[in-house]
Amino acid sequence: MSSREEYAPGAAFGAEVRKEGNKWTLVLVRELGHPATKVWQALTDPAQLREWAPFDADRNLGTTGPVTLSTVGAPAQHVSETSVKRAEAPRLLEFSWGEFDIRWELEPLANGTRLTLWTNIGRRFVSMGAAGWHICFDVLDRFLAGDPIGRIVGGAAMKFGGWQRLNAEYAKQFGIEATNPHPTT
Amino acid sequence: MKIKVTSIYVNDQEKALRFYTEVLGFVKKADFTQGPYRWLTVASPEEPDGTELQLAPNDNPAARSYQQAMFEQGQPAAMFYVDDVQREHDRTKPLGAEFTMPPTKVTGSTIAMLNDTCGNLIQIVALDRRMRT
Repeated sequence: MSSREEYAPGAAFGAEVRKEGNKWTLVLVRELGHPATKVWQALTDPAQLREWAPFDADRNLGTTGPVTLSTVGAPAQHVSETSVKRAEAPRLLEFSWGEFDIRWELEPLANGTRLTLWTNIGRRFVSMGAAGWHICFDVLDRFLAGDPIGRIVGGAAMKFGGWQRLNAEYAKQFGIEATNPHPTT
Repeated sequence: MKIKVTSIYVNDQEKALRFYTEVLGFVKKADFTQGPYRWLTVASPEEPDGTELQLAPNDNPAARSYQQAMFEQGQPAAMFYVDDVQREHDRTKPLGAEFTMPPTKVTGSTIAMLNDTCGNLIQIVALDRRMRT
């Protein structure tokens, strides 16, 4: 049985950056050994989001319309009044998080689901974002397997042993310079 | 208990980072995001591990109202201590600092006020006992 203390992220994988002028989109792919309907629940149900996601939602994301998202683990809570734009269970979910767009695609596989996340992100933060989502996906995978270890997000993720390494690995893969959230420490 | 971070609301974090580093001369300390949230702080190069100033987005109505009211009343949103106000005035003006109050002698100190271009007035202060003659 795994636990939060024993968890260590693996090597960076499954991420790419698409650059269209000034707009950079981070694309992350993860294969999960669970059916799309189950993954969909974890992406939309507020109680399940609390197990792995870097935000809280005030309602189920499975229908379009307004929603309030709150950051979790950031130095100050940030609340965004935003909206779900597309919700086509169990295949496609699109919503905004502040000025950023989040798009999830779920593709059924023979023995699970290929989950793809598209999100636009400031170029300085693209490797940090990949490292953060990598850890979120690991936690999601364990939660879906019935072995929840509790979400690791925000400052807690950055203090985590593997975060700095993932940040550096993703920066190398993207061909950018790794930026440190605390350059003078 | 320590005062480690204090905040100032800014209407544009990227522009604020440029002003507080390139014009005022602070150094970037922390910079990370979580979704739409960006935690951004600067510190003085004279005290790199000293108090950090958070450049906080004014992206809620209460923050914007407060910032605007302070600005319209001519109240500084922050005060920074310097050794010599005239020297800082002469150094930052060519870098684009717009002073709303030139170096002015007041009781016990010399002060000046400048616009941070992000919605705030900043006062710089040199206490008489600190002044170099």
